[in-house]
Amino acid sequence: MVRLPGNKNEPGKLRAALFALLVHAAFLALLVFGLNWKNEAPEAMSVDLWADLPQRPIKPVSPVAQVTSQPEPAKPQSRPQQKTQPQPQPVIKATPPPVRKPEIALKDKTEKPQPKEEVKKLEPVKKEVSKEEPAKKPVEKPASKEEVKKPELVKKEAPKTESIKKVEQKTEKKDDARQQAEAQKQDQQREQQMAAAKAAQARALGEIEKYKAMIQAKIRSRIIMPPDLPGNPAVEFMVTLLPGGDVLTVTLRKSSSYTAFDEAVERAIYLAKPLPLPPDPGLFNEFRNLNITVYYRE
Amino acid sequence: MSKTITQDLSFLHLISGASLPVQLVMLLLLLASFISWWFIFRKLFTLRQEIKQTDEFESVFWRGSDLNALYQRAASARHAAGSMERIFEAGFREFTKYQSGIDIGPIMDSTRGAMRAVYQREMDRLESHLSFLATVGSVSPYVGLFGTVWGIMNAFRELSNVGQATIAHVAPGIAEALIATAMGLFAAIPAVIAYNRYASDTAQLATRYESFIEEVSNVLQRRVAKPRDMANFS
Repeated sequence: MVRLPGNKNEPGKLRAALFALLVHAAFLALLVFGLNWKNEAPEAMSVDLWADLPQRPIKPVSPVAQVTSQPEPAKPQSRPQQKTQPQPQPVIKATPPPVRKPEIALKDKTEKPQPKEEVKKLEPVKKEVSKEEPAKKPVEKPASKEEVKKPELVKKEAPKTESIKKVEQKTEKKDDARQQAEAQKQDQQREQQMAAAKAAQARALGEIEKYKAMIQAKIRSRIIMPPDLPGNPAVEFMVTLLPGGDVLTVTLRKSSSYTAFDEAVERAIYLAKPLPLPPDPGLFNEFRNLNITVYYRE
Repeated sequence: MSKTITQDLSFLHLISGASLPVQLVMLLLLLASFISWWFIFRKLFTLRQEIKQTDEFESVFWRGSDLNALYQRAASARHAAGSMERIFEAGFREFTKYQSGIDIGPIMDSTRGAMRAVYQREMDRLESHLSFLATVGSVSPYVGLFGTVWGIMNAFRELSNVGQATIAHVAPGIAEALIATAMGLFAAIPAVIAYNRYASDTAQLATRYESFIEEVSNVLQRRVAKPRDMANFS
Protein backbone atom coordinates (compact mmCIF):
# COMPACT_ATOMS: atom_id res chain seq x y z
CA MET A 1 0.00 0.00 0.00
CA VAL A 2 2.83 2.31 0.74
CA ARG A 3 4.79 1.45 -2.36
CA LEU A 4 1.91 1.88 -4.70
CA PRO A 5 1.96 5.66 -4.55
CA GLY A 6 5.63 5.52 -5.48
CA ASN A 7 4.76 3.72 -8.68
CA LYS A 8 2.09 6.25 -9.36
CA ASN A 9 4.71 9.03 -9.53
CA GLU A 10 6.96 7.23 -11.96
CA PRO A 11 6.21 9.48 -14.98
CA GLY A 12 6.58 12.57 -12.80
CA LYS A 13 10.11 11.51 -11.87
CA LEU A 14 11.28 11.49 -15.46
CA ARG A 15 9.62 14.78 -16.18
CA ALA A 16 11.22 16.25 -13.06
CA ALA A 17 14.67 15.06 -14.15
CA LEU A 18 14.12 16.67 -17.53
CA PHE A 19 13.11 19.95 -15.94
CA ALA A 20 16.11 19.83 -13.64
CA LEU A 21 18.39 19.35 -16.63
CA LEU A 22 16.74 22.29 -18.35
CA VAL A 23 17.28 24.54 -15.35
CA HIS A 24 20.97 23.66 -15.24
CA ALA A 25 21.39 24.18 -18.94
CA ALA A 26 19.89 27.63 -18.51
CA PHE A 27 22.23 28.37 -15.62
CA LEU A 28 25.24 27.26 -17.61
CA ALA A 29 24.18 29.41 -20.55
CA LEU A 30 23.86 32.35 -18.17
CA LEU A 31 27.37 31.79 -16.86
CA VAL A 32 28.82 31.41 -20.33
CA PHE A 33 27.13 34.50 -21.70
CA GLY A 34 27.92 36.49 -18.60
CA LEU A 35 31.59 35.71 -19.03
CA ASN A 36 31.57 36.51 -22.69
CA TRP A 37 30.38 40.05 -22.09
CA LYS A 38 33.45 40.73 -20.01
CA ASN A 39 35.73 39.39 -22.71
CA GLU A 40 34.37 41.73 -25.34
CA ALA A 41 34.37 44.94 -23.35
CA PRO A 42 38.15 45.65 -23.52
CA GLU A 43 38.16 45.15 -27.31
CA ALA A 44 35.56 47.83 -27.79
CA MET A 45 37.61 50.20 -25.63
CA SER A 46 40.78 49.74 -27.63
CA VAL A 47 38.91 50.54 -30.84
CA ASP A 48 37.77 53.83 -29.35
CA LEU A 49 41.28 54.81 -28.45
CA TRP A 50 42.56 54.19 -31.93
CA ALA A 51 39.86 56.25 -33.53
CA ASP A 52 40.91 59.25 -31.45
CA LEU A 53 44.47 59.27 -32.76
CA PRO A 54 45.05 62.45 -34.73
CA GLN A 55 48.17 61.29 -36.55
CA ARG A 56 47.22 57.77 -37.50
CA PRO A 57 44.67 58.76 -40.16
CA ILE A 58 47.45 60.26 -42.30
CA LYS A 59 48.29 57.04 -43.99
CA PRO A 60 44.84 55.50 -44.22
CA VAL A 61 43.33 58.69 -45.59
CA SER A 62 45.66 59.25 -48.48
CA PRO A 63 44.91 55.93 -50.16
CA VAL A 64 41.25 56.79 -49.92
CA ALA A 65 41.90 60.10 -51.60
CA GLN A 66 43.82 58.37 -54.32
CA VAL A 67 41.11 55.90 -54.94
CA THR A 68 38.43 58.52 -55.21
CA SER A 69 40.50 60.78 -57.41
CA GLN A 70 41.22 58.00 -59.86
CA PRO A 71 37.76 57.99 -61.33
CA GLU A 72 38.36 61.58 -62.44
CA PRO A 73 41.19 60.82 -64.84
CA ALA A 74 39.09 57.95 -66.06
CA LYS A 75 36.24 60.20 -67.10
CA PRO A 76 38.06 61.82 -69.96
CA GLN A 77 38.22 58.36 -71.46
CA SER A 78 34.51 57.94 -71.30
CA ARG A 79 33.80 61.37 -72.71
CA PRO A 80 35.61 60.84 -75.99
CA GLN A 81 33.40 57.86 -76.50
CA GLN A 82 30.39 59.99 -76.02
CA LYS A 83 31.75 62.49 -78.46
CA THR A 84 32.26 59.85 -81.11
CA GLN A 85 28.63 59.00 -80.90
CA PRO A 86 27.42 62.40 -82.00
CA GLN A 87 29.86 62.36 -84.96
CA PRO A 88 28.18 59.53 -86.86
CA GLN A 89 24.90 61.32 -86.41
CA PRO A 90 25.37 63.72 -89.32
CA VAL A 91 25.74 60.70 -91.58
CA ILE A 92 22.40 59.35 -90.56
CA LYS A 93 20.79 62.80 -90.26
CA ALA A 94 17.45 61.24 -89.52
CA THR A 95 15.46 61.30 -86.27
CA PRO A 96 17.98 59.47 -84.02
CA PRO A 97 20.02 62.56 -83.05
CA PRO A 98 17.26 64.30 -81.11
CA VAL A 99 16.80 61.11 -79.19
CA ARG A 100 20.44 60.45 -78.39
CA LYS A 101 21.66 63.91 -77.60
CA PRO A 102 19.31 64.52 -74.73
CA GLU A 103 20.70 61.36 -73.27
CA ILE A 104 24.22 62.71 -73.45
CA ALA A 105 23.16 65.99 -71.97
CA LEU A 106 21.49 64.14 -69.19
CA LYS A 107 24.54 62.04 -68.58
CA ASP A 108 26.69 65.14 -68.32
CA LYS A 109 24.34 66.60 -65.81
CA THR A 110 24.22 63.54 -63.73
CA GLU A 111 27.93 62.93 -63.86
CA LYS A 112 29.09 66.40 -63.01
CA PRO A 113 27.56 66.70 -59.59
CA GLN A 114 29.34 63.56 -58.51
CA PRO A 115 32.93 64.82 -58.74
CA LYS A 116 31.87 67.91 -56.84
CA GLU A 117 30.46 65.86 -54.06
CA GLU A 118 33.54 63.73 -53.93
CA VAL A 119 35.77 66.75 -53.57
CA LYS A 120 33.61 68.08 -50.77
CA LYS A 121 33.62 64.80 -48.96
CA LEU A 122 37.35 64.54 -49.17
CA GLU A 123 37.95 67.99 -47.82
CA PRO A 124 37.27 67.42 -44.15
CA VAL A 125 39.52 64.42 -44.27
CA LYS A 126 42.28 66.19 -46.12
CA LYS A 127 42.29 69.00 -43.60
CA GLU A 128 43.92 66.53 -41.28
CA VAL A 129 46.98 66.69 -43.43
CA SER A 130 48.66 64.43 -45.94
CA LYS A 131 52.04 64.59 -47.54
CA GLU A 132 51.00 63.12 -50.83
CA GLU A 133 48.31 65.66 -51.51
CA PRO A 134 50.40 68.37 -53.12
CA ALA A 135 51.21 65.83 -55.80
CA LYS A 136 47.60 65.01 -56.26
CA LYS A 137 46.17 68.47 -56.60
CA PRO A 138 47.82 69.32 -59.86
CA VAL A 139 46.25 66.16 -61.17
CA GLU A 140 42.87 67.01 -59.80
CA LYS A 141 42.76 70.56 -61.11
CA PRO A 142 43.38 69.71 -64.73
CA ALA A 143 40.85 66.99 -64.39
CA SER A 144 38.20 69.40 -63.24
CA LYS A 145 39.02 71.83 -66.03
CA GLU A 146 38.70 69.10 -68.56
CA GLU A 147 35.39 68.21 -67.13
CA VAL A 148 34.25 71.73 -67.54
CA LYS A 149 35.51 72.09 -71.07
CA LYS A 150 34.27 68.85 -72.46
CA PRO A 151 30.63 69.48 -71.80
CA GLU A 152 31.09 72.69 -73.74
CA LEU A 153 32.42 70.80 -76.71
CA VAL A 154 29.41 68.59 -76.62
CA LYS A 155 27.22 71.61 -76.43
CA LYS A 156 28.77 73.21 -79.47
CA GLU A 157 27.69 70.21 -81.44
CA ALA A 158 24.33 70.18 -79.91
CA PRO A 159 23.00 73.47 -81.40
CA LYS A 160 22.68 71.67 -84.73
CA THR A 161 19.32 70.31 -83.75
CA GLU A 162 17.34 71.98 -80.97
CA SER A 163 17.18 75.35 -79.35
CA ILE A 164 15.86 74.03 -76.09
CA LYS A 165 19.19 72.50 -75.30
CA LYS A 166 20.88 75.87 -75.65
CA VAL A 167 19.02 77.16 -72.69
CA GLU A 168 20.07 74.18 -70.66
CA GLN A 169 23.64 74.58 -71.77
CA LYS A 170 23.75 78.20 -70.75
CA THR A 171 22.67 77.38 -67.29
CA GLU A 172 25.19 74.60 -67.24
CA LYS A 173 27.95 76.95 -68.27
CA LYS A 174 27.12 79.28 -65.43
CA ASP A 175 27.22 76.34 -63.07
CA ASP A 176 30.58 75.31 -64.43
CA ALA A 177 32.05 78.73 -63.83
CA ARG A 178 30.82 78.68 -60.29
CA GLN A 179 32.25 75.25 -59.77
CA GLN A 180 35.63 76.34 -61.01
CA ALA A 181 35.74 79.29 -58.67
CA GLU A 182 34.70 77.16 -55.74
CA ALA A 183 37.23 74.50 -56.54
CA GLN A 184 40.03 77.05 -56.69
CA LYS A 185 39.07 78.53 -53.37
CA GLN A 186 38.89 75.11 -51.79
CA ASP A 187 42.29 74.20 -53.19
CA GLN A 188 43.86 77.30 -51.72
CA GLN A 189 42.32 76.64 -48.34
CA ARG A 190 43.49 73.09 -48.45
CA GLU A 191 47.03 74.03 -49.30
CA GLN A 192 47.22 76.47 -46.42
CA GLN A 193 45.83 73.96 -43.99
CA MET A 194 48.17 71.31 -45.22
CA ALA A 195 51.22 73.47 -44.88
CA ALA A 196 50.28 74.36 -41.32
CA ALA A 197 49.49 70.80 -40.42
CA LYS A 198 52.73 69.55 -41.93
CA ALA A 199 54.74 71.92 -39.83
CA ALA A 200 52.81 70.90 -36.72
CA GLN A 201 53.30 67.28 -37.55
CA ALA A 202 57.02 67.69 -38.00
CA ARG A 203 57.20 69.41 -34.65
CA ALA A 204 55.08 66.69 -33.06
CA LEU A 205 57.25 63.96 -34.54
CA GLY A 206 60.33 65.60 -33.15
CA GLU A 207 58.66 65.88 -29.78
CA ILE A 208 57.54 62.27 -29.82
CA GLU A 209 61.00 61.04 -30.73
CA LYS A 210 62.53 63.17 -28.02
CA TYR A 211 60.23 61.85 -25.31
CA LYS A 212 60.55 58.27 -26.47
CA ALA A 213 64.29 58.58 -26.13
CA MET A 214 63.80 60.12 -22.68
CA ILE A 215 61.60 57.21 -21.62
CA GLN A 216 64.15 54.72 -22.87
CA ALA A 217 66.92 56.51 -21.01
CA LYS A 218 64.94 56.69 -17.79
CA ILE A 219 64.11 52.99 -17.88
CA ARG A 220 67.71 52.15 -18.71
CA SER A 221 68.96 54.06 -15.76
CA ARG A 222 66.81 51.95 -13.39
CA ILE A 223 67.85 48.56 -14.67
CA ILE A 224 69.99 46.51 -12.34
CA MET A 225 71.64 44.37 -14.98
CA PRO A 226 72.17 40.72 -14.17
CA PRO A 227 75.88 40.03 -14.53
CA ASP A 228 77.62 38.01 -17.21
CA LEU A 229 75.04 37.30 -19.87
CA PRO A 230 76.53 36.05 -23.12
CA GLY A 231 76.02 38.04 -26.30
CA ASN A 232 73.66 41.01 -26.53
CA PRO A 233 70.17 39.71 -25.74
CA ALA A 234 67.24 42.04 -26.34
CA VAL A 235 63.89 42.04 -24.61
CA GLU A 236 60.76 43.70 -25.93
CA PHE A 237 57.96 44.94 -23.70
CA MET A 238 54.61 46.42 -24.51
CA VAL A 239 53.89 49.14 -21.96
CA THR A 240 50.45 50.62 -21.53
CA LEU A 241 50.61 54.10 -20.04
CA LEU A 242 48.09 56.28 -18.30
CA PRO A 243 47.96 60.01 -18.88
CA GLY A 244 50.42 61.41 -16.36
CA GLY A 245 53.04 58.78 -17.08
CA ASP A 246 51.86 56.02 -14.77
CA VAL A 247 52.41 52.48 -15.98
CA LEU A 248 49.18 50.53 -16.32
CA THR A 249 50.40 47.20 -17.65
CA VAL A 250 53.66 45.74 -18.82
CA THR A 251 53.44 42.73 -21.09
CA LEU A 252 56.34 40.77 -22.40
CA ARG A 253 56.36 40.83 -26.20
CA LYS A 254 59.60 39.04 -26.94
CA SER A 255 61.64 37.42 -24.24
CA SER A 256 65.40 37.61 -24.27
CA SER A 257 65.36 33.96 -23.11
CA TYR A 258 67.08 35.11 -19.89
CA THR A 259 64.36 35.42 -17.28
CA ALA A 260 66.66 37.33 -14.96
CA PHE A 261 67.19 40.00 -17.60
CA ASP A 262 63.47 40.07 -18.53
CA GLU A 263 62.49 40.56 -14.92
CA ALA A 264 65.15 43.18 -14.33
CA VAL A 265 63.81 45.22 -17.22
CA GLU A 266 60.22 44.76 -16.13
CA ARG A 267 61.07 45.93 -12.62
CA ALA A 268 62.94 48.88 -14.08
CA ILE A 269 59.89 49.91 -16.10
CA TYR A 270 57.80 50.00 -12.95
CA LEU A 271 60.57 51.77 -11.05
CA ALA A 272 60.89 54.42 -13.75
CA LYS A 273 57.32 55.63 -13.38
CA PRO A 274 56.12 58.26 -13.81
CA LEU A 275 57.59 58.15 -17.28
CA PRO A 276 58.32 61.47 -18.95
CA LEU A 277 55.54 62.50 -21.31
CA PRO A 278 55.21 65.55 -23.56
CA PRO A 279 53.16 68.35 -21.99
CA ASP A 280 50.80 68.39 -24.99
CA PRO A 281 47.98 65.96 -24.08
CA GLY A 282 47.16 65.55 -27.77
CA LEU A 283 50.36 63.62 -28.23
CA PHE A 284 49.53 61.14 -25.49
CA ASN A 285 47.91 58.75 -27.94
CA GLU A 286 51.36 58.08 -29.34
CA PHE A 287 52.47 56.95 -25.91
CA ARG A 288 49.43 54.99 -24.84
CA ASN A 289 50.87 51.69 -26.04
CA LEU A 290 54.62 51.85 -26.14
CA ASN A 291 56.90 49.18 -27.48
CA ILE A 292 60.10 49.28 -25.53
CA THR A 293 63.08 47.24 -26.62
CA VAL A 294 66.05 47.04 -24.29
CA TYR A 295 69.40 45.58 -25.24
CA TYR A 296 71.70 44.05 -22.70
CA ARG A 297 74.69 45.99 -24.02
CA GLU A 298 74.24 49.35 -25.56
CA MET B 1 28.17 29.20 -33.40
CA SER B 2 31.80 30.13 -33.64
CA LYS B 3 31.20 32.80 -31.05
CA THR B 4 29.74 30.39 -28.53
CA ILE B 5 32.70 28.07 -28.99
CA THR B 6 35.18 30.72 -27.99
CA GLN B 7 33.01 31.70 -25.02
CA ASP B 8 32.74 28.11 -23.98
CA LEU B 9 36.48 27.70 -24.16
CA SER B 10 37.14 30.63 -21.91
CA PHE B 11 34.54 29.45 -19.43
CA LEU B 12 35.74 25.85 -19.47
CA HIS B 13 39.29 27.08 -19.25
CA LEU B 14 38.41 28.92 -16.07
CA ILE B 15 36.93 25.77 -14.53
CA SER B 16 39.63 23.42 -15.75
CA GLY B 17 42.27 25.83 -14.49
CA ALA B 18 40.97 25.56 -10.92
CA SER B 19 42.78 23.40 -8.42
CA LEU B 20 41.56 19.90 -7.65
CA PRO B 21 39.73 20.65 -4.35
CA VAL B 22 37.89 23.51 -6.02
CA GLN B 23 36.95 21.27 -8.91
CA LEU B 24 35.70 18.62 -6.51
CA VAL B 25 33.65 21.20 -4.67
CA MET B 26 32.16 22.34 -7.97
CA LEU B 27 31.32 18.78 -8.93
CA LEU B 28 29.71 18.14 -5.57
CA LEU B 29 27.68 21.31 -5.82
CA LEU B 30 26.59 20.53 -9.34
CA LEU B 31 25.44 17.12 -8.23
CA ALA B 32 23.64 18.51 -5.19
CA SER B 33 22.04 21.18 -7.30
CA PHE B 34 20.87 18.69 -9.89
CA ILE B 35 19.40 16.31 -7.33
CA SER B 36 17.74 19.10 -5.41
CA TRP B 37 16.16 20.44 -8.59
CA TRP B 38 15.02 16.96 -9.43
CA PHE B 39 13.33 16.66 -6.03
CA ILE B 40 11.93 20.14 -6.35
CA PHE B 41 10.12 19.23 -9.54
CA ARG B 42 9.07 15.82 -8.27
CA LYS B 43 7.66 17.30 -5.09
CA LEU B 44 5.98 20.01 -7.08
CA PHE B 45 4.14 17.48 -9.19
CA THR B 46 3.30 15.22 -6.24
CA LEU B 47 2.04 17.99 -4.00
CA ARG B 48 0.02 19.60 -6.74
CA GLN B 49 -1.61 16.28 -7.53
CA GLU B 50 -2.16 15.57 -3.85
CA ILE B 51 -3.88 18.89 -3.22
CA LYS B 52 -6.09 18.41 -6.25
CA GLN B 53 -7.11 14.91 -5.21
CA THR B 54 -7.78 15.99 -1.65
CA ASP B 55 -9.98 18.86 -2.84
CA GLU B 56 -11.92 16.51 -5.09
CA PHE B 57 -12.41 13.83 -2.48
CA GLU B 58 -13.42 16.29 0.20
CA SER B 59 -16.04 17.85 -2.01
CA VAL B 60 -17.41 14.40 -2.95
CA PHE B 61 -17.39 13.26 0.67
CA TRP B 62 -19.18 16.27 2.08
CA ARG B 63 -21.74 16.27 -0.69
CA GLY B 64 -23.23 13.49 1.38
CA SER B 65 -22.74 10.64 -1.00
CA ASP B 66 -23.02 7.02 0.17
CA LEU B 67 -20.05 5.94 2.27
CA ASN B 68 -20.27 2.41 0.93
CA ALA B 69 -20.02 3.58 -2.67
CA LEU B 70 -17.16 5.83 -1.74
CA TYR B 71 -15.37 2.92 -0.12
CA GLN B 72 -15.92 0.73 -3.18
CA ARG B 73 -14.52 3.39 -5.44
CA ALA B 74 -11.48 3.98 -3.24
CA ALA B 75 -10.74 0.26 -2.94
CA SER B 76 -11.03 -0.40 -6.67
CA ALA B 77 -8.98 2.57 -7.83
CA ARG B 78 -6.32 2.45 -5.18
CA HIS B 79 -3.55 3.50 -7.60
CA ALA B 80 -5.22 6.73 -8.53
CA ALA B 81 -6.41 7.46 -5.01
CA GLY B 82 -5.18 10.42 -3.02
CA SER B 83 -3.95 10.27 0.56
CA MET B 84 -7.29 11.35 2.01
CA GLU B 85 -9.13 8.70 0.04
CA ARG B 86 -6.70 6.10 1.25
CA ILE B 87 -7.13 7.20 4.85
CA PHE B 88 -10.86 6.92 4.48
CA GLU B 89 -10.57 3.51 2.83
CA ALA B 90 -8.40 2.12 5.62
CA GLY B 91 -10.70 3.48 8.31
CA PHE B 92 -13.86 2.21 6.68
CA ARG B 93 -12.45 -1.25 6.05
CA GLU B 94 -11.47 -1.51 9.69
CA PHE B 95 -14.89 -0.27 10.66
CA THR B 96 -16.76 -2.84 8.53
CA LYS B 97 -14.67 -5.72 9.84
CA TYR B 98 -16.49 -5.43 13.14
CA GLN B 99 -19.87 -7.00 13.23
CA SER B 100 -22.68 -5.26 15.02
CA GLY B 101 -23.20 -5.79 18.67
CA ILE B 102 -19.71 -5.00 19.83
CA ASP B 103 -18.99 -2.01 22.06
CA ILE B 104 -18.61 1.29 20.34
CA GLY B 105 -15.34 2.01 22.15
CA PRO B 106 -13.05 -0.63 20.63
CA ILE B 107 -14.56 -0.19 17.16
CA MET B 108 -13.81 3.50 17.08
CA ASP B 109 -10.38 3.00 18.61
CA SER B 110 -9.25 0.54 16.01
CA THR B 111 -10.86 2.52 13.17
CA ARG B 112 -9.08 5.64 14.27
CA GLY B 113 -5.88 3.65 14.72
CA ALA B 114 -6.07 2.32 11.17
CA MET B 115 -6.64 5.79 9.81
CA ARG B 116 -3.79 7.16 11.91
CA ALA B 117 -1.42 4.54 10.55
CA VAL B 118 -2.23 5.36 6.93
CA TYR B 119 -2.05 9.05 7.74
CA GLN B 120 1.45 8.61 9.17
CA ARG B 121 2.58 6.72 6.12
CA GLU B 122 1.13 9.25 3.75
CA MET B 123 2.73 12.13 5.60
CA ASP B 124 6.01 10.28 5.52
CA ARG B 125 5.69 9.95 1.76
CA LEU B 126 4.81 13.60 1.33
CA GLU B 127 7.67 14.74 3.51
CA SER B 128 10.24 12.47 1.91
CA HIS B 129 13.14 14.32 0.23
CA LEU B 130 12.22 17.54 2.00
CA SER B 131 15.06 16.96 4.41
CA PHE B 132 17.43 16.69 1.45
CA LEU B 133 16.25 20.07 0.19
CA ALA B 134 16.79 21.52 3.64
CA THR B 135 20.30 20.09 3.79
CA VAL B 136 21.25 21.41 0.36
CA GLY B 137 19.76 24.78 1.20
CA SER B 138 21.73 25.16 4.41
CA VAL B 139 25.00 23.48 3.53
CA SER B 140 25.78 24.22 -0.11
CA PRO B 141 26.60 27.92 0.45
CA TYR B 142 29.25 26.85 2.93
CA VAL B 143 30.59 24.23 0.55
CA GLY B 144 30.76 26.84 -2.20
CA LEU B 145 32.43 29.24 0.18
CA PHE B 146 34.98 26.60 1.05
CA GLY B 147 35.80 26.20 -2.64
CA THR B 148 36.14 29.93 -3.03
CA VAL B 149 38.35 30.34 0.00
CA TRP B 150 40.56 27.53 -1.18
CA GLY B 151 40.80 29.03 -4.67
CA ILE B 152 41.62 32.49 -3.36
CA MET B 153 44.20 31.05 -1.01
CA ASN B 154 45.88 29.44 -3.98
CA ALA B 155 45.66 32.62 -6.01
CA PHE B 156 47.41 34.60 -3.29
CA ARG B 157 50.03 31.96 -2.74
CA GLU B 158 50.90 32.08 -6.43
CA LEU B 159 50.94 35.84 -6.18
CA SER B 160 53.67 35.69 -3.58
CA ASN B 161 55.91 33.84 -6.05
CA VAL B 162 55.43 36.47 -8.72
CA GLY B 163 56.98 39.34 -6.80
CA GLN B 164 55.16 42.15 -8.54
CA ALA B 165 51.47 42.02 -7.75
CA THR B 166 49.09 43.10 -10.44
CA ILE B 167 45.38 42.57 -10.74
CA ALA B 168 46.06 40.44 -13.79
CA HIS B 169 47.83 37.91 -11.60
CA VAL B 170 45.05 37.51 -9.05
CA ALA B 171 41.97 38.07 -11.16
CA PRO B 172 41.74 34.69 -12.90
CA GLY B 173 42.25 32.80 -9.66
CA ILE B 174 39.57 34.77 -7.89
CA ALA B 175 37.16 34.52 -10.79
CA GLU B 176 37.71 30.78 -10.82
CA ALA B 177 37.16 30.55 -7.11
CA LEU B 178 34.03 32.66 -7.18
CA ILE B 179 32.39 30.23 -9.57
CA ALA B 180 32.24 27.81 -6.64
CA THR B 181 30.30 30.34 -4.54
CA ALA B 182 27.99 31.07 -7.44
CA MET B 183 27.25 27.38 -7.81
CA GLY B 184 26.68 26.99 -4.10
CA LEU B 185 24.19 29.84 -4.09
CA PHE B 186 22.56 28.53 -7.22
CA ALA B 187 22.01 25.21 -5.47
CA ALA B 188 20.97 26.71 -2.15
CA ILE B 189 18.50 29.45 -3.05
CA PRO B 190 15.96 27.33 -4.91
CA ALA B 191 16.35 24.54 -2.37
CA VAL B 192 15.53 26.86 0.52
CA ILE B 193 12.60 28.43 -1.28
CA ALA B 194 11.24 25.03 -2.30
CA TYR B 195 11.73 23.62 1.17
CA ASN B 196 9.78 26.41 2.83
CA ARG B 197 7.03 26.25 0.26
CA TYR B 198 6.66 22.47 0.39
CA ALA B 199 6.93 22.34 4.17
CA SER B 200 4.01 24.73 4.50
CA ASP B 201 2.05 22.84 1.85
CA THR B 202 2.56 19.51 3.63
CA ALA B 203 1.68 21.07 6.97
CA GLN B 204 -1.55 22.34 5.47
CA LEU B 205 -2.32 18.92 4.06
CA ALA B 206 -1.51 17.32 7.43
CA THR B 207 -4.02 19.48 9.27
CA ARG B 208 -6.62 18.72 6.65
CA TYR B 209 -6.04 14.98 7.02
CA GLU B 210 -6.13 15.13 10.79
CA SER B 211 -9.37 17.01 10.91
CA PHE B 212 -10.72 14.65 8.27
CA ILE B 213 -9.85 11.67 10.45
CA GLU B 214 -11.76 13.19 13.35
CA GLU B 215 -14.71 13.98 11.17
CA VAL B 216 -14.84 10.52 9.61
CA SER B 217 -14.64 8.84 13.01
CA ASN B 218 -17.53 11.06 14.16
CA VAL B 219 -19.59 10.10 11.15
CA LEU B 220 -18.87 6.40 11.71
CA GLN B 221 -19.66 6.71 15.42
CA ARG B 222 -23.04 8.10 14.54
CA ARG B 223 -23.62 5.04 12.37
CA VAL B 224 -22.83 2.68 15.24
CA ALA B 225 -25.27 4.56 17.37
CA LYS B 226 -28.02 3.50 14.96
CA PRO B 227 -27.70 -0.30 15.04
CA ARG B 228 -30.56 -0.81 12.59
CA ASP B 229 -28.72 1.03 9.89
CA MET B 230 -25.71 -0.95 10.73
CA ALA B 231 -27.60 -4.21 10.40
CA ASN B 232 -28.88 -3.31 6.95
CA PHE B 233 -25.46 -2.34 6.02
CA SER B 234 -23.65 -5.53 6.93
